[in-house]
Order: sequence, then C-alpha cells, then structure tokens
Amino acid sequence: MMEGLLAAEASWLNFGIFFLLAVVLLFVVLGFVTYAILAERKVMGFMQLRYGPNQVGGRFGLLQTVADVLKLLIKEDTIPKLADRPLFILAPVIAFTPAFMVLAVIPFTDKFYFADIGVGLLYYIAISGLTTIGIVTGGWASNNKYALMGGMRAAAQMISYEIPLVMSVIGIILLTGSLNLNDIVEAQKNGWFIIWQPIAFIVFLIAAVAELNRVPFDLPEAESELVAGFHVEYSGFRWAFFMLAEYVYMFAMASLITVIFLGGWLPLPFLGFIPGAVWFALKFTVVIFILIWFRVTFPRIRADQLMEFGWKVLLPVALANIFLTAILKELLNIF
Amino acid sequence: MIFSGEFLIFMLLALIAVMGGVLMINLTKVVHMVVALVFTFVSIAGIFVLLSAEFIAAVQILIYSGAVTIIMLFGIMLTRHNDESEPKTGRLRKILLFLGVLGFGVVFYIGVYNVDFPQAANTLHENNTEQIGIALYSKYIIPFELTSVILLVALIGAIVLAKRDDQEEADKE
Repeated sequence: MMEGLLAAEASWLNFGIFFLLAVVLLFVVLGFVTYAILAERKVMGFMQLRYGPNQVGGRFGLLQTVADVLKLLIKEDTIPKLADRPLFILAPVIAFTPAFMVLAVIPFTDKFYFADIGVGLLYYIAISGLTTIGIVTGGWASNNKYALMGGMRAAAQMISYEIPLVMSVIGIILLTGSLNLNDIVEAQKNGWFIIWQPIAFIVFLIAAVAELNRVPFDLPEAESELVAGFHVEYSGFRWAFFMLAEYVYMFAMASLITVIFLGGWLPLPFLGFIPGAVWFALKFTVVIFILIWFRVTFPRIRADQLMEFGWKVLLPVALANIFLTAILKELLNIF
Repeated sequence: MIFSGEFLIFMLLALIAVMGGVLMINLTKVVHMVVALVFTFVSIAGIFVLLSAEFIAAVQILIYSGAVTIIMLFGIMLTRHNDESEPKTGRLRKILLFLGVLGFGVVFYIGVYNVDFPQAANTLHENNTEQIGIALYSKYIIPFELTSVILLVALIGAIVLAKRDDQEEADKE
C-alpha cells in the first residue's frame, strides 16, 4: 500500500492521504502516551509493592491519565513576568516537533511505513538532536537558575551520549551496508542484530536511556537537586508539551531499538504465521517494559559520573566494537 | 512550470532561510540570534532535500543545528547569557552599507545568471550516501585524512588551553 503511495506522482489527493495518515498516527501515539504513563505508574507501583492508580476508571485506573491531561489543559497558563516571552512560548514547540518528525522513518511492518529514505537512521539521530535546542531555550527563557542549570545539563548530556549512540550503530551499518531502516530490518533475516552485535546493543540501550533523560540519567530534571530542572516555570499545556515530547521519544526510541536490534516485524523461527504487526508490537512492548524497569531499579547517577561514563567507558567500547566488527567482516567474511 | 510544488517549497524554505539570517542580524538578545540561526540551518537542510542530497541534509541538521548551535548556546551561557548587543547607528554608515549590499546583490545576480553549468551526470542522487563514501575513501582519501589531522590539532589545542587554566588556578591557590 505505502510503496504505491510513495512512488505515486505528487498530487493533492496524495498529500491528503498522507496528511490523514499522519493525523491518525498522531492519535495513535497520543493513545500510546496515555497508556504508557499509566503502565509506567502501574509497573512502578507493583515493583514497589503498592497498587498504583486504581480509582479513576475502574480497578485498573484506566482513565487516570485522561483525567490528569484534562486537568493540565484547563489549568491556568502562567508565564513568569521576567521570562523571555517569545522564547518561553516557542520552546515547547521546538522540543515537541522533532519528536513527532522522527516517527516518519520508522518502518512498523514491511507494508506500513511512512517514508523510505536512504538515510533513515541518520535522519532519526539528526532530527532528535533538535529537541535539545528546545530544552535549552526553554531553560534559558524561564529566567530561573534551576531551569537554566537543568537546560545546560540536558544539552551537555545529550551531546555526550549522542556520540556513543551513533558510534554503536556504525557496526550495524557496516554489516548491512545501508542506512535505510527498511534494509536494516531485511538484513536481519538470518539472525537479529542483538545476536551479531551484543556490545552495540548494550551501548545503544544505555545511550538511548540517557538520550531519553530517564532515570538513571534524568539529571536535567533531577527533582531533589533542581526542583524540576528545565521545566520548573512551565505549567498547564506548555508543560504537557514537554512531557508529551518525552514520551513520544520513548515511543520512537523503543521502535528504533526494535527495528535495529530486534528485527522489527520479523518473526521468530517457525512462528511466521503470526502477522508482522503483532511481532513488532510484542518486541516494542518488551523494550518499553525494560525502560520502565530501569527507572524503578536504578538510582540517579552524579553529573561527573555521567560525563565520565559517557566519554571514558561508552565511547571507547563503541569504537572497539566498530574495530572488531570491521575485522570480523573482513577476515571471516561471514556476512 | 514556474508554479510547481517544488518552486513553492523552494520559495518557502528560501524565505525562512533569509528571514532567519535577517533576524539573526537584527535581534538584540544573543540567544534569540542563535534560535533564528537554527531556522536558517534547518531550511537550508530542506533545500538540500529538494536537491535530492539527503545525506548532506541530514548531516547539515546533525552538525549545524545540533552540535554547532548547542556549542554556541553553551558559550553564551557560560559567559554572560543576558548580553545584549547595542545597535550602532550612523546615517553615513547606513547609506554606505545599503550601497554595499546593493552592489553585492547586483554583482551576484549577474554572476549567477551568467554561470553556465555544464550538464553533469544525473545519477548523482541515487544512493548518494554510498557515492559520497566511495569518493571520500578512494579519490579524496588524502585531503580527508588531512582534515582529520587538522581536527586532531584543534582538539589537542583545546585540551592544552583548558589544562593550563586549571594549573594556573591551582598555583594561585
């Protein structure tokens, strides 16, 4: 279906179809965000021996997040008097837009994808870097020292961990010979890359958690040191946009990990009768669960440890992985 | 042909790029300037996409909008992040400037109009990432390696500068 649409001549009808599909995807992602927040609170609750939300919307608190979002939307929209007004308004937009833009290149199944561009992986990494600018400007425009410190931490952390993130996937690009995410999935027909590239997977997973600003790397919004970090001064729907950006990135990053390392829509052997979409959803859910699990089990690390770990451990390991992959590829010629 | 979709998109992107540049010069707060610059960088990446140079577009966003802008913001915030640049006024200066801009525009308009691009091979847009890679690592390998040496020198220079600062402060204490 999508192949035909992508290859078709540009027309208003074509534009309309893509626009409609994008709107549908937006609502699917919003639905995901609603229930990801609930799932996070539930899983955290059970891991900490409590129930989590269980009042609004039946026994499982199914409407809890909906109620929370409704509360955020009707909340008073405050802008501090001394804040930099235009930037304060612009910052959540700059932070959110790239989060949704990156979803364009993720192939969900072999038939359902929005774009088939040659540099898909690079596109993801490049566009996701733009969010940092939104966070830094938001922190700066708030005219608050905690916000500024949170913004600076976010920038330093995201720049530092973007490098191991990129370096770890170079091994996979070497094996695949392509940056196209569809080709990367196709190349995993005889073994997912989590098997061929275990070091890359570990480095990528750690760097991905750091890029998502989640515990144990949530220093930009460390509530015990910085009140709430870069979004101290934000409230109501502007704050909701920052949160939304964070969870949409969680969606995107989990999809990316699924696509790069877990074989995307490819089934396990002998289970090919289950449709690709189900496989993608299963793997995706496992990745999301691992991300929530990390959040519950790890303590936050210190800022200096964060930088040291990124530059002195992850980066050399990622470089060694590239070296190793290149040698194996050349000498053994197994791929 | 003139009002094709490509033309409209190009005009839109070009407009954003030029406006970003103009705003960058005219705004007074340094952080605002950097944000204006981001819009210019991103729309230039869009123009690269229009030219089917997707690899360069992605790298443009990765390096310019991502890394360079963040480093500039860092530099600004580590120094005086509330700095404002005072607009300097002077009638003669303005007139001369306007004439200079006009001359620049005329020269470039004539220059660009008279350039005769030879018809190059039009397969450059297919697999351009691969083509760039092959060209860099086979035909232009020595300039490429030289660039990396220059970057290394800059890196070591930065480390030396940072280290010396530390030692001097320690000596003072």
